[in-house]
Amino acid sequence: MPVSVSVSIPTLLRPLTQDQKRIEIEGATVRELIERMDSQYPGIKERLLDGGEMHRFVNVYVNDNDIRFADNLGTALKDGDNVSILPAVAGG
Amino acid sequence: MDRFGVNLMTFPLAGCTLSGAFAHVPAAFAPAASAVFNQAGALGIGVVFQPGTCADGLDFRFEVPGLAPIAGRLLGWADGRPDGASELTVQAASGLMAVHGRASGGARPLGVDYVSTLAASLALQGTFAAAIGQLRGSGHTRVDVSLAGAATLAIGQYLAGATAPEGAERLLPGCTSPRERPPFTSADGVVFELETLDAEPWRRFWNGLGIPGELAGKGWSAFLLRYAKAVSPMPAELMEALSRLPYAVIAERCAEAGLSICPLRSLIERLEDDDLPLLLEHGPWHFTPGTSGLPPTTLGGRGDLPLSGLRVIESCRRIQGPLAGHLLALLGAEVIRIELPGGDPLRGMPPLVDGCSVRFDALNRHKQVCELDIKSARGRAELLELASQADVFLHNWAPGKAAELNLDHADLARVNPALIYAYAGGWGEDARLHAMPGTDFMVQAYSGVARQIARRSASAGGSLFTVLDVLGGVVAAQGVSVALLKRGLRGEAGRVDSSLLGAATLLCTTELLALRDGKAPVEPPVAGVYPTAAGLLAIECRDAAEVERLRYALDCPLDAEPALRDEQIVRCLASRDAQAWQSLLREFGLAASAVREDLSAVHEDGRIAPCLRTEAYTLVKSPWSFT
Repeated sequence: MPVSVSVSIPTLLRPLTQDQKRIEIEGATVRELIERMDSQYPGIKERLLDGGEMHRFVNVYVNDNDIRFADNLGTALKDGDNVSILPAVAGG
Repeated sequence: MDRFGVNLMTFPLAGCTLSGAFAHVPAAFAPAASAVFNQAGALGIGVVFQPGTCADGLDFRFEVPGLAPIAGRLLGWADGRPDGASELTVQAASGLMAVHGRASGGARPLGVDYVSTLAASLALQGTFAAAIGQLRGSGHTRVDVSLAGAATLAIGQYLAGATAPEGAERLLPGCTSPRERPPFTSADGVVFELETLDAEPWRRFWNGLGIPGELAGKGWSAFLLRYAKAVSPMPAELMEALSRLPYAVIAERCAEAGLSICPLRSLIERLEDDDLPLLLEHGPWHFTPGTSGLPPTTLGGRGDLPLSGLRVIESCRRIQGPLAGHLLALLGAEVIRIELPGGDPLRGMPPLVDGCSVRFDALNRHKQVCELDIKSARGRAELLELASQADVFLHNWAPGKAAELNLDHADLARVNPALIYAYAGGWGEDARLHAMPGTDFMVQAYSGVARQIARRSASAGGSLFTVLDVLGGVVAAQGVSVALLKRGLRGEAGRVDSSLLGAATLLCTTELLALRDGKAPVEPPVAGVYPTAAGLLAIECRDAAEVERLRYALDCPLDAEPALRDEQIVRCLASRDAQAWQSLLREFGLAASAVREDLSAVHEDGRIAPCLRTEAYTLVKSPWSFT
């Protein structure tokens, strides 16, 4: 059965998602999810990934857990998971 | 050496004088007065102590040979009201205590003369800018600043975040634990900061200590909140894991993981550092001469502001450098900000207004933007082209990066001999420190500032409010003004370096000088925040006469022992609310103010309101008023 998750889109990426704040999409891993999003909303992958890895200034959370502390783009998704994308910059 | 018998390389404003009744200012302005004359002396300005008194603030006069004298005035409140303004009461009313208090156990004094130091720098900078303006044909002869203006400038970003039309931050004093936040404490009692700008070293470090990834990730999210929101609610498990290990083991694990660590040092330890004597003598700036024999300053744009017609190229990220550029823009300069293609990622940090982070907007709204990649040959060529048409180039890149990119002082001076090259760094001259990220909290720890702040806080460390980024930004802009004035007066361009560590040293100058000379630093006898029947009240007495007046106003005996005296004060204050006490104590000529805990209401205070303007969010106006 395909895994469907809910993705919350940050304001700056909403022009790419027809202003939707939240989209429902399928994907068994975060990488798959991003690929699927990009086919529906072209351009989004480029904003999230940098050379095949997560962009340094973007954090992705699965149910409030930062994927960098799980399996990164390989982090597995379950049906009904909440995924959020947030801009992130360390340091002052 | 020149005819003044001083070295112009290290004393850039030799030949200028600053006069004022510095020894006779109201007690509340004594810290600002000593900051003004210490800084002037460090720049080679001849300081003249005049007789007489300033009744309600600090008045001084800056004289440059060949120019009309410039009057500087530093008042307390923004509405010019003379009563009750002091370091502590302005910290209280402006919201600064509230921001500091988010992670420090409630609204509390910072415990350092922060607003006074900031205001002194701004006051001097205003007079330098007015002098530059005169050289360029403007007629400014007077500049006014206030402690309130300095304090609101310091918290501009947080005010923006708290007053955004959507998603405004509601972070009240005491909203996070003062213990479960950085700094950390080891089993052998060493208090220390950790720092990294990347998630990976953080993940490796905690993984090595057996902390599950999910928990380490929660800690990373908390760690990222420090700079933007002045909170960092760390999972208790992380604090506990470190409290079970000796410092030496933690330091070893940090080295293995690529994480930086710095113990919180005292000012006594700081006194032993090799870089300190020079910073105490010459201030937080290092001037390096460049091309001399430049043609005299040409007339400028004749705008309303003293730096109108001057152009600044800014290649800075985060807070310190962008704030320096912001201040130069507020003085009238045209500031062109270099951003990566696609724009600075901080633009996207919520809360947003019109698609841009309000915090980012607060620091960058007056700048033009030029997107280019300085790592590409084409980007560098574009940058050199921009610099060839500019007066100032300002950057805050990591140590060594300018040389690596062939964008160092000599490279830029080649395309523009008249350029002022300014670097707003972290650690300054001591290259041994450059392996650690020179960020606000690391420098607070190393410099002794964190320990000074911790004495008055419920936490073990410094402030999560970016104390040094803000002061460092002001100091960097001030250095640029000095270099521009020197260029105008002597036809000599050059480089000016400043750092967060220099700013930290400036902030603690009085204490460091006292410790160096074997004296006990002078503390105000009363400087505290007390509960009342409703709301908190900040009270500051700078001398014995003021304590006596407080005793009379409260109509109760006050013990000489501070802890007992504070208990007595709290008992007395229980009978009225903070506003009522503020009015009553003002009648006795005392510095007392209700503490502003909610940033979204700061503008309701008439003493602060003139510093602010409400647009989509609450904006902080220029701290200077020129006439």
